[in-house]
Amino acid sequence: MRLYSFRYIIPQAFKSLKLNGWMTFASILTISITLFLCAICWLLVINIDSNAQQMESDVRVSAYIDQTISSEDYPALQEQIEAIDGVDNVEFVSKDQGISDLEKRFGGIDLKETLGGNNPLPDRFSISATNKDVVSSVAKAVKKLDGVDTVRYGEGSVEKLFALTDTFRKVGITLIILLGIAAVTLVAMTIRLTVFARRKEIMVMKWVGATNAFIRWPFLLEGVILGVIGAFIAVVLVLICYKYAGVYVANTISFVYLLELSTIWLKVLGFAVLAGLIMGAFGSIISLLKCLDV
Amino acid sequence: MLIKAINVCKTYKNGLEALKNIDLEIDSGEFVFLTGASGAGKSTLIRLLFREELATTGQVLISGRNIARLSQRETVRLRRNTGVVFQDFRLMERNTVFDNVAFALKAVERSWEEIKVRVPQVLEKVGLGGRENENVMHLSGGEQQRVAVARAIINHPLILFADEPTGDLDPNTSEELMKLFEQINKDGTTLLIATHDKEIVNRMRRRVLTLHGGKLVGDIVGGWQL
Repeated sequence: MRLYSFRYIIPQAFKSLKLNGWMTFASILTISITLFLCAICWLLVINIDSNAQQMESDVRVSAYIDQTISSEDYPALQEQIEAIDGVDNVEFVSKDQGISDLEKRFGGIDLKETLGGNNPLPDRFSISATNKDVVSSVAKAVKKLDGVDTVRYGEGSVEKLFALTDTFRKVGITLIILLGIAAVTLVAMTIRLTVFARRKEIMVMKWVGATNAFIRWPFLLEGVILGVIGAFIAVVLVLICYKYAGVYVANTISFVYLLELSTIWLKVLGFAVLAGLIMGAFGSIISLLKCLDV
Repeated sequence: MLIKAINVCKTYKNGLEALKNIDLEIDSGEFVFLTGASGAGKSTLIRLLFREELATTGQVLISGRNIARLSQRETVRLRRNTGVVFQDFRLMERNTVFDNVAFALKAVERSWEEIKVRVPQVLEKVGLGGRENENVMHLSGGEQQRVAVARAIINHPLILFADEPTGDLDPNTSEELMKLFEQINKDGTTLLIATHDKEIVNRMRRRVLTLHGGKLVGDIVGGWQL
């Protein structure tokens, strides 16, 4: 293939897209929707994954102090906790600090006022373990100490998050496959329409001795253009949604954090453009193999 | 021998026997008419010769090569050495004269500089000099056929096949087109023209192959046989 042949091939591909306006629109729309959903699923999965990992590494044991003991006994209790194997650090959290932390986590709601000026939270020790594998045994040892009422360390919640990630991944993959098939089929149909509309030109090209590559390139390019345009639309929509979702999440659920837009936009763009390109090219190839027997 | 058919038969999937045991030879530089009534097999034979279709049995040889056995690359080369003209012109209606002719050069990947030089030259040759920018649909039937001829000969083919080129033209225009074909033939291109136009065949006094019911029933120099 000679380089200057692209002077014919590139305009030809755009001409064909214009010729089948509605099919072009439908194909781009389907690719955009497919890639939009793909990207959303992927972003959900990586965000839940990252939150789960963060939670896992951040797991702290909360030892709620029996309200019947005097605050003078707290230092001795803290020493007992610090002496347990696997304990890295022990921090005292007063009931006032506890409620103000909670207020922060729920977006600045005045919990005290909501509860009629009462603070039902007990004082507690926040304990970090030397590593996540000993959290459970530390919790058990702390629970046995006199002066400790209850112990919580978010048992099961990390596993639940990982299970949720897995579900999202499975649902996402199924959805992506189904939509991907629809998108590829639509691209193939668009290309087939172009081939039909340009059958006379194709015949003439054959008679004068055009090579297969020369005849097929514009159609392949057409599919790729459909895919890439669809991908760009999807990326713009995804990034806009993600930006607003980030603001919304930060304002409402403070214990969930989203990955920064600046760290993911390039990955989203790369993923979508590559996927769009593959879908477009694949749709073209199917069509060319079926109805352009040169 | 430039074109040779050895015991060629063509039977379509519906059982129609379009050609039966065709043997023929055409030498380089010849001007040959292929005549016969409608349905005699003229178009089928033309399609076999430029490898649009393949023979069911028998062999078609161009320059000694069996065209059924050509690779993709060799087929492309064969087509670059053969031109084809049809009764219905098969032009790209929305395009200009220049674009229609230039298309044949673009398809074989010639440079734009070459296209700009060669298209006006070939249009001059077929009598359409200066008409480059006209839309082909604004031309008369005869002029449209000249555009089709220009497109067929611009790559300097060794052989030009024409399938009923005068079928849609009036007698005067047909006459002019035949003069153009004679000129092309004088320039060294071998011509095989399928026609059922008795007057033209009789007037031109060239070699005439006659098909009847898919069989080659005549091969003489002179006029219409049936």
